[in-house]
Amino acid sequence: MANQEAGENPIKSEGDIVTCRKLIRNAAVAAGFGMTDVTRIVTAVSELARNVYVHSGSDGVMRWEILHQPGQIGIHLEFEDYGKGIPDVDQAMEVGFTTAGTMGMGLSGVKRLMDDINIKSEVGVGTTITVEKWGRAK
Amino acid sequence: MDGENSLSVIKLKNILLVTVPDDPGDDIIHELQTKVLHAIEKYQSKGLILDISSVNILDSFFARTISETTQMVALMGGKTVIAGMQPSVAITATELGLHLGKAISTLDVDRALDIFTDNFKLV
Ligand SMILES: Nc1ncnc2c1ncn2[C@@H]1O[C@H](COP(=O)(O)OP(=O)(O)O)[C@@H](O)[C@H]1O
Ligand SMILES: [Mg+2]
Repeated sequence: MANQEAGENPIKSEGDIVTCRKLIRNAAVAAGFGMTDVTRIVTAVSELARNVYVHSGSDGVMRWEILHQPGQIGIHLEFEDYGKGIPDVDQAMEVGFTTAGTMGMGLSGVKRLMDDINIKSEVGVGTTITVEKWGRAK
Repeated sequence: MDGENSLSVIKLKNILLVTVPDDPGDDIIHELQTKVLHAIEKYQSKGLILDISSVNILDSFFARTISETTQMVALMGGKTVIAGMQPSVAITATELGLHLGKAISTLDVDRALDIFTDNFKLV
């Protein structure tokens, strides 16, 4: 488990949201991310894993990888589901937009917390969201 | 890394002290709301201190529950003070665009108790 630099975890139940958070917290801490970045990354994981569980209507998976660049460490995360898809991605990214009566702060918030976000979605096929965060290597 | 993973609800004179574990799952967050409301009714509490000093993740789902709970406590005539939010959690919550409703925040539980005694004169 220690120093593992890549992996994946299914998102099938509510409990998997916590499992994903714990996994990524351990990986980000081990990689050397600072406390605030770890919290940003884990919070983004929580939002995106919950979106798969709540909105997609299908199972999904989280994949992650620690990245290295001279003087920098990064983390790449991918959330893939095979569910209903997002008809209008720009609208879904708007602050407050929700189809579930919740806060509608997830996607717009994740965009602010991470350095990069990419959303690919097709109605009836599924959604893949990738995010990246970089920090100074210790 | 993991602390005790359950909610603690303690009656302190007129108020309720609720301590949230470090990485609360959705089940614990649901339980938070129901336990708080039941305990307030049972003990006729005038206030709630929500100790989140162990909490290392606060996402939009948790924030919504806190703000809803605060509102419900207010409807029952009580006041809520949120104690001990970690700096990294506060920074992240702000960047995420979260707000916790009308609850007052303090650095720790001691200061939350001070507010109930000095400002609200409830303890
Ligand atoms: N994986 C997904 N599959 C289908 N729809 C999604 C997915 N993720 C997000 N969405 C859509 O985007 C909207 C906005 O998501 P978000 O910003 O996280 O807010 P919230 O989860 O509170 O609705 C959701 O209400 C939903 O309609
Ligand atoms: Mg969401």
